Amino acid sequence: MAAVQTSGERALNKIAIVAVLVVTIIFLAPIYWIVSTSFKPRNLATTVPPTVVFEPTISPFVKLFTKRSQLRSPPTAEEYAAAPWWERVVFDGGEKIVRDGQGQVQWSGYPSRFLNSLIIAITSTVLAVGMGTFTAYGFSRFKVKGEADLLFFILSTRMLPAVVVAIPMFLMYRAVGLNDTHLGLIILYTAFNLSFSVWLMKGFMDEIPKEYEEAALVDGYTRMEAFFKIVLPEAATGIAATAVFCFITAWNEYAFALIMTNRRAQTAPPFIPSQVGSGLPDWTVIASGTFLFLLPVAIFTFLLRNHLLRGMSFGAIRK
Amino acid sequence: MTQIELRGVQKFFGAVQVIKDLNLKIDDNEFIVLLGQSGCGKTTTLRAIAGLETIDEGDILIDGKAIQHLKAADRDIAMVFQSFSLYPHMSVYENIAFPLRATRKSKSEIDSEVRSVAKTLQITDLLEKKPSALSGGDMQRVAIGRALVRRPKAMLMDEPIGALDAKLREEMRAEIKRLHIKQGSTTIYVTHDQIEAMSLADRIVIMHEGMLQQVGSPDEVYSRPANLFVAQFVGSPVMNVADAAISETTSSASVTVGGAEAGFEFPRTLLSKLNGHAGGELALGIRPEGVLIRRDAAEGFLPVETQLVEPLGSFDIVDLKVGSKMLRARTRSGFVGGPGEKVFARIDPSQAHFFDKTSGKSLGVRL
Repeated sequence: MAAVQTSGERALNKIAIVAVLVVTIIFLAPIYWIVSTSFKPRNLATTVPPTVVFEPTISPFVKLFTKRSQLRSPPTAEEYAAAPWWERVVFDGGEKIVRDGQGQVQWSGYPSRFLNSLIIAITSTVLAVGMGTFTAYGFSRFKVKGEADLLFFILSTRMLPAVVVAIPMFLMYRAVGLNDTHLGLIILYTAFNLSFSVWLMKGFMDEIPKEYEEAALVDGYTRMEAFFKIVLPEAATGIAATAVFCFITAWNEYAFALIMTNRRAQTAPPFIPSQVGSGLPDWTVIASGTFLFLLPVAIFTFLLRNHLLRGMSFGAIRK
Repeated sequence: MTQIELRGVQKFFGAVQVIKDLNLKIDDNEFIVLLGQSGCGKTTTLRAIAGLETIDEGDILIDGKAIQHLKAADRDIAMVFQSFSLYPHMSVYENIAFPLRATRKSKSEIDSEVRSVAKTLQITDLLEKKPSALSGGDMQRVAIGRALVRRPKAMLMDEPIGALDAKLREEMRAEIKRLHIKQGSTTIYVTHDQIEAMSLADRIVIMHEGMLQQVGSPDEVYSRPANLFVAQFVGSPVMNVADAAISETTSSASVTVGGAEAGFEFPRTLLSKLNGHAGGELALGIRPEGVLIRRDAAEGFLPVETQLVEPLGSFDIVDLKVGSKMLRARTRSGFVGGPGEKVFARIDPSQAHFFDKTSGKSLGVRL
């Protein structure tokens, strides 16, 4: 191997760097678009060509979190003076008011949808990863009769698009009273993710040498203790990677959430597009809703990034 | 006091029988080495004693009590694995303390015991490190420390130094022996390396295809192999084994090897000691140091031609063509110049072994 790069190799390196930059820009452009739109005044959101330089405002977020009632006239000087700062932000954008007829500020549906999303995605992720980890451990460590058939069966649940069964699922859910409930969506998302979680975790479990548990067994621990004290910490990387994937799936799911829920248990994905406002769609509100919706996944992935990077390449190399 | 006894132990993996009717008694404080090729059932035997494998028949007794139904955790046995199996997410200290934490000992007791074991093994300065930061030898010291700290009834070691390089292996071998002498716990050690077995064991247990071949002190298995397998498995370079024909001369017995024209001279008592086997299918076994060679003719020495010479530093191994057979002799280095030389060879009757070719068993002839 040449120790010094030739000029050809240097040129190739530069091309590679440029290519990476281009791809990165292509991937980040929609995110930039969403973030910038969510800070734009309403009248700048749809200009052609797009407005790049503007004075950012949090007006879309105020509108996102509050129920909007339209007043016939702009606020009077007294009303403007008496309004809190965040209401003035909306007034400044040339729009009217965020209070109802009784002068009450009301929360919009977004915070509760966001909370629903969190509850449902987190619970179903914990369940899918938890059950998946146990199942994978069983398949990895014990002789299970018909192991290959069972694993195939588990995988086969993902062999058709989930939406195909949406109508029968809806009818079943309605019959047992699970529609528009948190439990209903949690069960649904857990079931979706379980097969994926079992398969992914089995790969990670297979990579953990059996000797670790055997050492723990000889050291005086039961198999359950060995599992929790030795296997689980060793599988942390795999669990993190699986959890991120399961969380993203549950967090982003749209079709079932749209069909199965309408108010109580509705998640953010079907809610955000419904906020088009009266008259023309208010893209700034939709963008701010989407921007906030992106954050949990971004934070979750960022927190687990070290595990995730190892997890992605884990098992790729035989030791 | 810990005695371990295996009685009629059998183990199957599917249709394959990996342990065949194994009977073995291990005394208190004894260092036993299970020696054999890979797949001979030695590791399975060790794992069965540890409780990591079930057995299909027979009994495993510790101090007279059958323990084959007990879980590994309840047998009070420690094991050192070939792969070290240190828990990667724990520090060295935590690794050594781990078996003690299962015993509900107080924190201060655990601390003092961990530190005392670390001192014995000279790993005190490594206690805060993670296993991934350790060298192979240190990892093995920690693994041994983890096994010792609980003061188990018995120590099981599964090729504990097999993964180390040659120099380190030698050092660790000596260290394990020193440690055993100091701590004196009943130890069962598995290896396929006969040098390790010879240097460590009080008694060696040689296994082949799930069957026990011979149990004896290193000297016994080396100088009185029970059968052809043991004869050829123990010792390096391996024992010469050749088909032998015995005939009677006026004053002595003659052992012809490889259809050579003349036979090697043996005392007449050989015939009576062979006890009727003389006419049967026999194999002669002789270690290279039992083949004596000289440059000039002498009584009882047969003329032979040297073939290959392997210089091994302190001695040479010389291949001698005897009839159609090759016998390897051990000579002082440089004694034979090279291939094609005429030398005179004789077999030392006191080092010769005779085996029944059909059963492979030694006929126990000592001259």
